Amino acid sequence: MRRAAVALAALVLLAAAVLTVLAAKRSGEPGTDSPEAGFARDMSAHHAQAVRMSFIVRERTRDEPVRLLAYDIITAQQAQIGMMTAWLDDWGLPKTDPGGRMRWMSGHHGGAHAPGSGADGAVMPGMATRTRLRELERASGRDAEIRYLRLMIAHHRGGVDMARAVLARTDRPEVRRLARTMVDGQQSEIALMNRMLAERGASA
Amino acid sequence: MSKSARTRARNQQRHKNLQNRGRSSRARNRKNALIKREVPWGGIVFFTVIGVVSAVAIAFAFLQTRGPSAAEAAISGVVEKEGLSREHTTGAVEYDTAPPMGGAHDPVWQNCDGRVYDRPLRDENAVHSLEHGAVWVTYRPGLAGDQLDRLKDKVDGTDYTMLSPYPGQDAPIALTAWGRQLMLQDASDARIDAFLRAYVKGPQTPEPGAACDGAKDTP
Repeated sequence: MRRAAVALAALVLLAAAVLTVLAAKRSGEPGTDSPEAGFARDMSAHHAQAVRMSFIVRERTRDEPVRLLAYDIITAQQAQIGMMTAWLDDWGLPKTDPGGRMRWMSGHHGGAHAPGSGADGAVMPGMATRTRLRELERASGRDAEIRYLRLMIAHHRGGVDMARAVLARTDRPEVRRLARTMVDGQQSEIALMNRMLAERGASA
Repeated sequence: MSKSARTRARNQQRHKNLQNRGRSSRARNRKNALIKREVPWGGIVFFTVIGVVSAVAIAFAFLQTRGPSAAEAAISGVVEKEGLSREHTTGAVEYDTAPPMGGAHDPVWQNCDGRVYDRPLRDENAVHSLEHGAVWVTYRPGLAGDQLDRLKDKVDGTDYTMLSPYPGQDAPIALTAWGRQLMLQDASDARIDAFLRAYVKGPQTPEPGAACDGAKDTP
């Protein structure tokens, strides 16, 4: 009887402890100024440009390897935008930060806060300017492929830096998992794109 | 019997007596407890503490699951409109507000990736951008230069926004999302940031995940 009561008491205390820990964990969700939220917003915009560039090159060349690479980037990065958007939804956070881009990545000076920044749309590491995008839209065949590969190598390099930056700033498993896949996936694509440039007689 | 043996025997006897006395007093106490039916305060306190701790933990966990959405706090002055058509048409559409807050629109959206336009946009294209989760910032032509610069900086730094003049609108500045609109007098109004946080790709977006580039790039 006495032993049963002690066991019951221990069980209740354990349950209370578990609930408290769970609650504390929940209350530890990222805030709007957290690196996780900043990464989710900024990487979404960064990815969106990669999707755009990949669509452009698919319209500007018939070369199958380049078209397939572009297809790969479009589908993967668009899906990742959806994952990051879902995080912000789960955390109940705004999808934008009117305070400016890239504030979570200390040390990087984003163009957003500088009035009339003149960044021409290239507001994050590795992003292409609007001028470069227009040039890609006008190029065709081999010229378009080479332009695309060069722009996308720079784009991926910036993306890898951003993913590494969030890895250094977060313990959240879902963020770490996706950022890791970005680092690994984009690095291997950089190597592939360098080979593709060489095959087309161009340097990076 | 030596002296030391006698002492030992005496000590043993004393020890035995003490043991007996202890046993009998414990027996007395046990009897008293049965008769007096003492209130088990120890048990009551113990289980009360456990009960309170678990109740607090459960309540805390419950409250944590339903925290308020930061983005959804009410912004004073926002006008709402529901039941807007999402039909696609290449023809002209007559909208009942200026700027329009949604409704039938052109299949081609206006690029809204933090884009500053210096000429008025075609409503039918801009409405499609609202459907994609953009906030359209508009101003009455003639807005003071420093006011306009503030708006340009804000839009230039925020994805899924676009800026254009809108002749004939009721206030110097208007912010429009799908089904939501806020008229403002001043570009330094704090409600601008609040509106952007709430409605850029906000829960009112009819087509979440849709793009803000790749379509119409000029007014």
